[in-house]
Amino acid sequence: MKEIRPDWISKTLAGAILGFSLALALAGLFAWLGPGGLGTPNKFQLVMWLVPPIWLTTLSLCFLFTSGTRAWLWLGGANLIAYAGLFACRQLIH
Amino acid sequence: MRSDVVRLYKVVHTWTGITAGMFLFIAFYAGSITVFAEPLARWASSPASVRLTALAQSDELIARTLAARPDAAKEFTLHLGETEDLWARLTWRKGKDDKSPWSADISSAGDLRFARSYRSSLSDFVDNIHRTAGIPGANDIGETLMGVVSAVYAVALVSGLIVVLPSLVKDLFALRIGPNLKRMWLDAHNVVGVVSLPFHIVIALSAVVFCLHEPLYDALDYVVYDGRLKSIMATSNPFTAIKKDERPASMLPVNVLLDRVKAASPSFVPVEMRYRNAGLRGASVQVWGYDTRYMTRGKGFAVISPVTGEIANTDYLPGREGTWTGIVATFFALHFATFGGDIVRVCYFLLGIAGAFLFYSGNLLWIESRRRTERRHGGPVNQKTSTRTMAAATVGVCLGVICAISITIVAERWLSGRVANIDVWRNAIYYCVFLGSVLWSFLRGAAAASVELLWLAAIATAAIPLTTLTGWTSPALGVQGSASLAALGVDLVALFSALCFVWMARSAAHRVEFGTADSVWAAPQRQLREAAR
Repeated sequence: MKEIRPDWISKTLAGAILGFSLALALAGLFAWLGPGGLGTPNKFQLVMWLVPPIWLTTLSLCFLFTSGTRAWLWLGGANLIAYAGLFACRQLIH
Repeated sequence: MRSDVVRLYKVVHTWTGITAGMFLFIAFYAGSITVFAEPLARWASSPASVRLTALAQSDELIARTLAARPDAAKEFTLHLGETEDLWARLTWRKGKDDKSPWSADISSAGDLRFARSYRSSLSDFVDNIHRTAGIPGANDIGETLMGVVSAVYAVALVSGLIVVLPSLVKDLFALRIGPNLKRMWLDAHNVVGVVSLPFHIVIALSAVVFCLHEPLYDALDYVVYDGRLKSIMATSNPFTAIKKDERPASMLPVNVLLDRVKAASPSFVPVEMRYRNAGLRGASVQVWGYDTRYMTRGKGFAVISPVTGEIANTDYLPGREGTWTGIVATFFALHFATFGGDIVRVCYFLLGIAGAFLFYSGNLLWIESRRRTERRHGGPVNQKTSTRTMAAATVGVCLGVICAISITIVAERWLSGRVANIDVWRNAIYYCVFLGSVLWSFLRGAAAASVELLWLAAIATAAIPLTTLTGWTSPALGVQGSASLAALGVDLVALFSALCFVWMARSAAHRVEFGTADSVWAAPQRQLREAAR
């Protein structure tokens, strides 16, 4: 098994920044694609509540990546996919 | 679990824990007290200082107030309770920033009386300490900072769980009391942490939301809603069904409105009615109240039209919410302990105190693992500056907040009615005691200060029931308290806590005197004596 490098600063930043943007995008996908769609009254409250659990789970677990670079690459990739979906929603659904 | 993962997460747990620990101690200690905010408010009020207008006269009170003071029609509140912390039946403000609300009552002679007074409550003060950890500053800087602290706290929880997982079954219920004090503290820290983990996860995540919801909404509006969030929020507003209509109209009696709400939800107990645009067709009443049968966001409410008597919105009425507000109400309830009544509140109080212990013991473990041990015949050792500083800070902050809150509570009874602005006094007393304790701890060293501050905590907390006793035995002093069961409960809890502090002070003193000398918890005098021998 590959040894885990600590890479504290790089991993913490990846988890905090990319974890947060990923949480926004995933909560956003739920807002667009979840039951009722974007404009359902009061749904936005739950959407906002979804952000901290996703964000902080990502931040907590990102130290498991074997290096800081891998953390940035994997979370960056996840962000790309999530934001592509979100962008598609914003373009296609009205 | 791979051992390198555990090692890595031990570092994460140490640093997140040590950064957030003391803020969280304050938040948890004050938060435990906030669970019983209402009994505390009743404890602080003098009994029957105001005779409230009878509830049956509410309609007369509303009509006569509106006739005499038309400016009250825009928004006023009718208080339905009978407890001693209420100070008027009807109150209104002249605008949002008006800190001195007006009140109206009907005297026993039948005269309408108006008063204007500045009121703020002790429970709100303690709640504010809970939300900000006592960090002062404009623009909710304390709350924002606590949002970040709560996020760090969430990481500390996950990392702590990862660290403890491999030995969970073996160590969980092993509380090894014995000469190895670090082992004992670690066992206690682990068992409290694991057993109350669900509670802590709920508190950490909801605290992040409560503190940071505004930036979170801003970010979501930009990324997800494309600037449309404001209009979605507007359509979600519980008052949307009430259309603006400025034609005058007569309003239904209070009893009829309350009956309509009761029909909508029989177990709902209304406590206040907030009227808007009274006397117009577009009037609304927000009926606020409790319902222990459901998970609620503190108080819930129904919106009703006082003209037609129709219920306009139940999005926030316990048991009648829609899907979305219903789910979110559950999260609120899990943080505020607003479900299941007093049993759940007692559990949350105990879990909160246990949480405070968790952060205190975490700091102790940090200190113990950096301890320099004395070698045989090696002579006395000096502990590192970092551990001595951390010990002094932990003792000063944690015991300081306990002393400060107790003394602020006691002072409330002695000062209320005697000073012009009790808010200023509360702040002055709290921060003087808190900062004084921290300073004292650094001047005297953690060992001596821990004993002395624990005695101060014991005396200050015992002064809570003693104040009540003094009020009863010497009425001339004017510190009489309420005789309600709720207020008596505050006295009893304070008495029990004071006894706990006495016990802690005595065992801390014992450790200072007879514990090993190579510790931050040994008093300098003893080390000096041994050095001289």
